[in-house]
Amino acid sequence: MRRLDKAGILRDLIVIGSWCIPFYESYFSGVKYSLSIRTRDIDFLIPRPSSFRAKIDLEQLLKDLGFILGFKGEQGVMKLEHPDLIIEFLVPKSGRGRERPVPLPELRFNAQALRFLSFLTSDTIAVSIDDVTVTLPHPVNFALHKLIVFQRRQKGDKAMKDRDTAIRILKALIDKGESARIKAVFQSVPRGWQQKIMTGLDLAEEPKIAKILEY
Amino acid sequence: MGVIKGVLKEELKNSLQMKKDYERELKKLPQGSLVKKTIKGHEYYYLVQRVKGKVKFTYKGKLSEEEVRKYKEAKEYRAKYRKLLSQVKRQIVFLRSALRGKKPI
Repeated sequence: MRRLDKAGILRDLIVIGSWCIPFYESYFSGVKYSLSIRTRDIDFLIPRPSSFRAKIDLEQLLKDLGFILGFKGEQGVMKLEHPDLIIEFLVPKSGRGRERPVPLPELRFNAQALRFLSFLTSDTIAVSIDDVTVTLPHPVNFALHKLIVFQRRQKGDKAMKDRDTAIRILKALIDKGESARIKAVFQSVPRGWQQKIMTGLDLAEEPKIAKILEY
Repeated sequence: MGVIKGVLKEELKNSLQMKKDYERELKKLPQGSLVKKTIKGHEYYYLVQRVKGKVKFTYKGKLSEEEVRKYKEAKEYRAKYRKLLSQVKRQIVFLRSALRGKKPI
């Protein structure tokens, strides 16, 4: 993280995925908030790949730390591997989008394009982790996004993990007195997404949270 | 329990892939290490390698600073990658045993 920050890359990235959960701890100080098990892979979202400011060879930047280049899937999505951490990059997929990885020439790397990620870029928070400022999606957006995507997961255990994470964060937000914000964000998304969120809450058997969004 | 098992399975898959990738990177590095010998005030290099269990010296002569640096760097990365590969192998053993639980091997 420090290395990415020093190279001027971190300011253009948003940490998403399971690593957000421990990073949200300071946001939820004072309310009941528990951490969950997470994998080693940290996902960095690039909101606007075309306006990336820094130019650096990412593989070379982290090589001396022992990171090596790896590839994921048939399309060859690049990742940087280390026994303690796996780094991947994602970009929002718009329209019909492309299945192939999106090149990131400024980093001499590529990224995977995924749907619904623009929702995570629309509202962000900054947290300080050991003197490094990290940008995260606002927990409301993060939780509602998880409620949408868990229904698209092919693996049952991953879907369950996403669903549980979403509910845990929504409950912490309600405890923090942010019910109105959850409702406002819910109302700002397209109707199709709203339906998916409500279906997600129905599947998670959380009528109390659903009620907050309805009224 | 399903979630934990899912995470462990995913991590095992990651570690198995990582093992292959570190082995690939190790193969890509130039083999052997350089030994410098000074003969009548001139510096000459030999490449020392283990071939079929025997140590073999190959005369390389005078080398540019760039070539010497390349071999030195390869030696450092080889040591680093070997250490990390053994860490990955330990992870694989741990994850496999955690996933196996009390079931017989």
